[in-house]
Amino acid sequence: MSKENKSVPLEYSTEENELKIFGFWVFLGAEILLFATLFSVYFALVDRTGSGPTGKEIFELPPVLVETFVLLTSSFLIGLGVHAMRIGRTKAMMVFYILTLLLGAVFLGVEINEFLTYIHDGATIQTNAFMSSLMTLLGTHGAHVTFGLLWGSGILMQIKKRGLNAKTANKAFIFSLYWHFLDVVWIFIFSFVYLKGVL
Amino acid sequence: MKELFPKEHVMGFVGSLVLTLAALTVVMFKGMSNGVAMTVLLVTAAAQALVQLVLFMHIGETEDKKALYTTIIYSVVVGLITVFGTLLAMVWGYM
Repeated sequence: MSKENKSVPLEYSTEENELKIFGFWVFLGAEILLFATLFSVYFALVDRTGSGPTGKEIFELPPVLVETFVLLTSSFLIGLGVHAMRIGRTKAMMVFYILTLLLGAVFLGVEINEFLTYIHDGATIQTNAFMSSLMTLLGTHGAHVTFGLLWGSGILMQIKKRGLNAKTANKAFIFSLYWHFLDVVWIFIFSFVYLKGVL
Repeated sequence: MKELFPKEHVMGFVGSLVLTLAALTVVMFKGMSNGVAMTVLLVTAAAQALVQLVLFMHIGETEDKKALYTTIIYSVVVGLITVFGTLLAMVWGYM
């Protein structure tokens, strides 16, 4: 392992660590573009509802608000987790990360329930171009959250087993970047899919 | 306990809650014109993204922050061109 630099947080302490964090930011740049194309598709097709339902008819704000506040809170908590990690409070950090993942699971539960409600109301991914683009956009975000739950749990298990070191701290920090990014994407879905949809 | 809740993060969280409530005003006040509503949504969403990026993700904390800002701003610009280019070609032209 390359030498550790003690003047920076543990997750940045080796050159490899620094480069991994930098590389993850580049990946997030690509993710921004992935979601930009999915939003483009959605905006192009949102009024192509055919004989199926429109957004105004199927969107329900209360569950969407729950999803929004749950994800905002989880993003705040993982930020606290990184802070706790930096001041060497491994236990507190793990508690914050576990709460983050639990809220992530709540978010996913509400979202799955929302999809089931749509399908129950006869609006499936095949109903019209609006539903196809909506479910693709929401589904891609939801798939990211699902992957995040598995990834985050794996990192927590590693930290429990090996403790905080340059490697595990680096992974935990990169995961926090991913989680904050998903929150940002959700804010745009909340604003430009749901709020705009019920206007 | 207190050292676990740095001011910066708590303020960022309160800020994101306030911004969410501000975005909600577009559906609460029915009298708002479409243009005003879209402006409110654009401003609050952009501000939310900045809160996450700067306060929570600490994009500016390392020496390579210039490269990070360049990467992210470049992606955002290309993303905006994709979204607004699509709107221009596929939606607004047919209204």
